[in-house]
Amino acid sequence: MSGPASAPGRLPLDPVELAAATLACLPDMSPKRLHALLVRGGGPVGALQALGRGLASAVLCDDATERDQLANVTLARTWQDPSTAERIQQMLARRHPHVYIAGRAGYPIDDLPDRPAVLLAEGGRADALHQRRVAVVGTRAATPQGLDDARELGAVLARAGVTVVSGLAIGIDAAAHEGALDAGGAVVGVVATGLDVVYPRRHRPLFERVRHAGMLMSEVGYGVQPRRYAFPVRNRIIAGLAEVVVVVEATLKGGARITAERALEYGRTVMAYPGSRRNPSAAGTNALLYDGAGVVLEPADVLLQLGLEDPAPRLDLRTPPAGDARAVLQACHGEPATLDQLASRSRLSPSAVVAAVRALERDRWLERSRGLCWPK
Amino acid sequence: MLAAVRSATLIGVDGQPVTVEVHVSSGLPMYQVVGLPDAAVRESRERVRAAVLSSGFEWPQRRITVNLAPGGVRKSGSGLELAVALGVLGANDALPAGVLDGVAVLGELGLDGSVRPVPGTLALVDALARAGVGCVVVPIANAAEADLVGDVRVRAARTLGELQACLKGEDPWPDWDPNPPVARCDRVPAVGDDDDIVDLADVRGLPFARDALEVAAAGGHHVLFCGPPGTGKTMLARRLATILPPMAHAEALEVTRIHSAAGEPVAGRLLDRRPFRAPHHTASTAALVGGGSGRARPGEITLAHRGALFLDELGEFAPTALDALRQPLEERAVRISRQPVSLTFPAAFQLVACSNPCPCGSGADGCRCTEAQRERYRRRLSAPLLDRFDLRVRVDAPEPDDVAGESSAVVAARVAAAHARQGARYADWPWSQNAHVAAGAVARLLPLGHDADDAWRALITERNLTGRGATRIRRVARTLADLDDSAGITADHLDRASLLRSDIP
Repeated sequence: MSGPASAPGRLPLDPVELAAATLACLPDMSPKRLHALLVRGGGPVGALQALGRGLASAVLCDDATERDQLANVTLARTWQDPSTAERIQQMLARRHPHVYIAGRAGYPIDDLPDRPAVLLAEGGRADALHQRRVAVVGTRAATPQGLDDARELGAVLARAGVTVVSGLAIGIDAAAHEGALDAGGAVVGVVATGLDVVYPRRHRPLFERVRHAGMLMSEVGYGVQPRRYAFPVRNRIIAGLAEVVVVVEATLKGGARITAERALEYGRTVMAYPGSRRNPSAAGTNALLYDGAGVVLEPADVLLQLGLEDPAPRLDLRTPPAGDARAVLQACHGEPATLDQLASRSRLSPSAVVAAVRALERDRWLERSRGLCWPK
Repeated sequence: MLAAVRSATLIGVDGQPVTVEVHVSSGLPMYQVVGLPDAAVRESRERVRAAVLSSGFEWPQRRITVNLAPGGVRKSGSGLELAVALGVLGANDALPAGVLDGVAVLGELGLDGSVRPVPGTLALVDALARAGVGCVVVPIANAAEADLVGDVRVRAARTLGELQACLKGEDPWPDWDPNPPVARCDRVPAVGDDDDIVDLADVRGLPFARDALEVAAAGGHHVLFCGPPGTGKTMLARRLATILPPMAHAEALEVTRIHSAAGEPVAGRLLDRRPFRAPHHTASTAALVGGGSGRARPGEITLAHRGALFLDELGEFAPTALDALRQPLEERAVRISRQPVSLTFPAAFQLVACSNPCPCGSGADGCRCTEAQRERYRRRLSAPLLDRFDLRVRVDAPEPDDVAGESSAVVAARVAAAHARQGARYADWPWSQNAHVAAGAVARLLPLGHDADDAWRALITERNLTGRGATRIRRVARTLADLDDSAGITADHLDRASLLRSDIP
């Protein structure tokens, strides 16, 4: 369990926030159920009070099929039990999350039909939500080039004072977060689990960074473990939070495509990086471009869409390769290649190729990964 | 009446001298074998009896007790039958006293009294020679093999009757063919049999992959080729057998002894080529590392001792079987613990493996595997196993205008020269190849050339190397230097070594 990140001096939750967060943390809560509770209870406080007076079973058993009835009756009993709410509130007092309630001031998403009724957030940068926001999303099966692009875009947005929103997944998501954090920017990581769950586990250090220098956000209660269906549902929050959604690399069927579709439904601008038709990790972005998404050739294109400018455009400080190094870089044809292929195409001796590759690596023109040389 | 005959049995891949004692006394006719015989030894009594009778001798209708000493060692196989038969003849006064002093006897009997070959003759005779036996009688088919031991007189036996006559001095000992033909049915086609046909010149292009193969052969490094199907990784790996350095006489004797003991056809010749074993990926853990039910048998890694073990489609092997390789890879021997004894099989083999980058096999280009599938595939090869490969090379199909490279003979000459250089360097150390230099001795034995210090430091910081990874790269760099006949490791050698160890799959 990672520790709560309550900033010192923050006010305790007001009764409405406390009631809303308690409702959101009830076991087996879903967006639909939460919405029904709030509507029928007349707001969070009313709904929490009415739970024990039959509201729980009314909401739960309303839409349930015959088969689910028994489970729902049991669940309703749990919801009605005052000790459940008490336990949740002890936890909330300990973790002290930010609570955003739809319709109240400070709620970061404009009026969308399926926006979450309650958002829970933890982190040291509540101001991340006051800035303009751009979502940077993409596939988990990213190429080294795609990771580079995401990292670069994250940094450019951060320098322009734009908050980077993403999903903390492996691949593009993580690279975008890292790029922005490295450049000192604010990020929002929207997760599909409880805020106390780290998934994927290998991202524990990244989660801590985001919690420290950004915001971790979720619509589900504490302790909720990853579930397959929850990720596409989460993606609508990413789309809703952002003004512009940039897809760096995406496969044909993947979460990033879902985020882009939701963004179009919400009337957000969708932009995508073009890629080689041989790169399956670019098939999704190329399809988006075919359908009319905005083209990102340079990270500044995204800023242009926002009407901003890069305050400190990073110049390419790499020394242009010369001689053998140039020949080897050209032999890549912009695609990943093995050392053997570089030697054959450049007609250089293996040791000349070695020297050239090492020089290119040092000057960051080339990256070696999975046994291949990737031009950057 | 008592007779004692010396013989030997196999324990693992080593011989164990055994004394066969036969006691014939008055009493009801019976025949009993004591002294931890296994089923094959116990059932030999019918063969011994039939062979004795067919050879025209009398079978004593009395109480016969056969004891196999030492009593605590399990005796296995049929190689003790000839010794039992001679013991029965001796105890029955069909042999003059004293003719078997200082003589050991090996052989299986046919019902007609013929003497049949036994597996592991070389190991058995070797053990007997060490135990001070001056003369061995072996089946005529094994005589050439027994003679490889050198410091023991070898007598060949064709039939029990003829052997008795020779022992009595009535007949001359039969001569044997120093190059016995291998029986047709023994001739199992094996990888490496076509060594004379395959050649490195068949491989087009792939200069780095060829480099890796040459370095592997020269320094004894484990090598992993990773790439899409049909790009020639298997073709390349198979050709390792054609460029491995020659074996010293002691090594050849050791390898021949192991193969003979494991029941592989040896044909009375020293194996002059390093073994190249290529088990199929359905091989069980026991088949790979040794063991199995009943008598513990040497596995493929022991048969690959002093040679190479080739695992094609590494990812398809059972993960448990692969992980069982880790300890022998480090210790260069495998210990099979059994009640009541544990055996140590030598396993100083070099691992050469091929693998696909992902389940669909195509790697980065047009790969349709999901990240989860790839992750699962990668996890089949545990990180500790991958770490043991000094050389990890990505192989893709040759380019259209690539031409054939050097032939095996040219490469083998360079490898042999580099091998000899290492042998001279490590004359005072317990290893003979760069790959096995102890981590603690690397800094002293594998010094960097004067210009390579900076490159070494840069390499470690840039690639974020752990101590172990850095050591592995340094050993490979030393082999590259040996192939170049260079006294010190240069920056170029370090760079090449680091490029030959990529983070695959």
